[in-house]
Amino acid sequence: MSAGGEEEDVRISIYRFNPETDAKPRMQDYDVMPEAGDKKLLDALMRLKTVDDSLSFRRSCREGVCGSDAMNINGRNGLACLTSLAGLKEPVVLRPLPGFPVIRDLIVDMTQFFAHYHAIKPYLINDELAPERERLQTPEERDRLNGLYECILCACCSAFCPSYWWNPDKFIGPAGLLQAYRFISDSRDTATAERLAYLDDVYRLYRCRTIMNCTEVCPKSLSPSHAIERIRLALVRESS
Amino acid sequence: MRLFLGQRAWMLQRATAVVLLIFLAAAAAMLLAGPPLSYERWHALATSPHGAVLIVVLFAALALHGWIGIRDIVLDYLHSPAVRLPLLGLIALVLIAIVIRVALTMAAHFMTAG
Repeated sequence: MSAGGEEEDVRISIYRFNPETDAKPRMQDYDVMPEAGDKKLLDALMRLKTVDDSLSFRRSCREGVCGSDAMNINGRNGLACLTSLAGLKEPVVLRPLPGFPVIRDLIVDMTQFFAHYHAIKPYLINDELAPERERLQTPEERDRLNGLYECILCACCSAFCPSYWWNPDKFIGPAGLLQAYRFISDSRDTATAERLAYLDDVYRLYRCRTIMNCTEVCPKSLSPSHAIERIRLALVRESS
Repeated sequence: MRLFLGQRAWMLQRATAVVLLIFLAAAAAMLLAGPPLSYERWHALATSPHGAVLIVVLFAALALHGWIGIRDIVLDYLHSPAVRLPLLGLIALVLIAIVIRVALTMAAHFMTAG
């Protein structure tokens, strides 16, 4: 198939569950032969899909921007499209994001996750009269958004957070809190006090035990735990 | 109630942690320097006005710190209000009882001495 000659079968063990036909989930083993140019786990999954089209998973941009193909890869959450096939321990065990309700195979229900995201009002709030052209920021003010705006909401962090597993209905989770801090730290946003007041809650923010799985696992190398710490400090400043 | 929720509780947990840390350092210093620990030394500490107040402060900080920590564990793992509320009540009661007991014991000496 390829001139490289290094390709070998990759053994992949995948969590299968179809609620319409299966009483309970099972693991199914596949052997897949990567072809030339298949570098990432997602490429192997796409090959598999041509063999077994009942296998279900989400994917879209295949380059780590859309955040659809988040899954648990050998016990660690990650994006299939950013995970190199080379170096993966075999069999590669693929499971849906832990703690999320499974819709089918590797597809999970993200309704609650996005409900938390919407609850933190993920948009600029500014009641002041809009200037003629745009709301300007200094380069320093813009720099404060670095490490925050890049979040793609893949849910790798929240689905790796024990606090989120325990209280997914009440704890906003690392992804939502990182997004919340993105707007708290935006110089153009005027709703900082309201945002902080919403987060000052024993569940919404303070279920975080600083376990830092979120920072450890983020495929975009962001640090939700740092953002959470900044929110806590902002609340301290607000109250004093 | 606000004192025990959200940001206030988080602050209180850290503040009491600092108090406990200071006491821990002081206890370590006491062990390393000075004569070996004995009943007489403990007795002298507990019957001096400063020592007695410090011991009560230590137990109060310990109880507050413990309350927030245990409360967090209960909020994390126990989701049924029928289990949670009585348990939290019991824990609070025990912690308050410990602090009152320590305060009374410390005060008793000065009552009888005075």
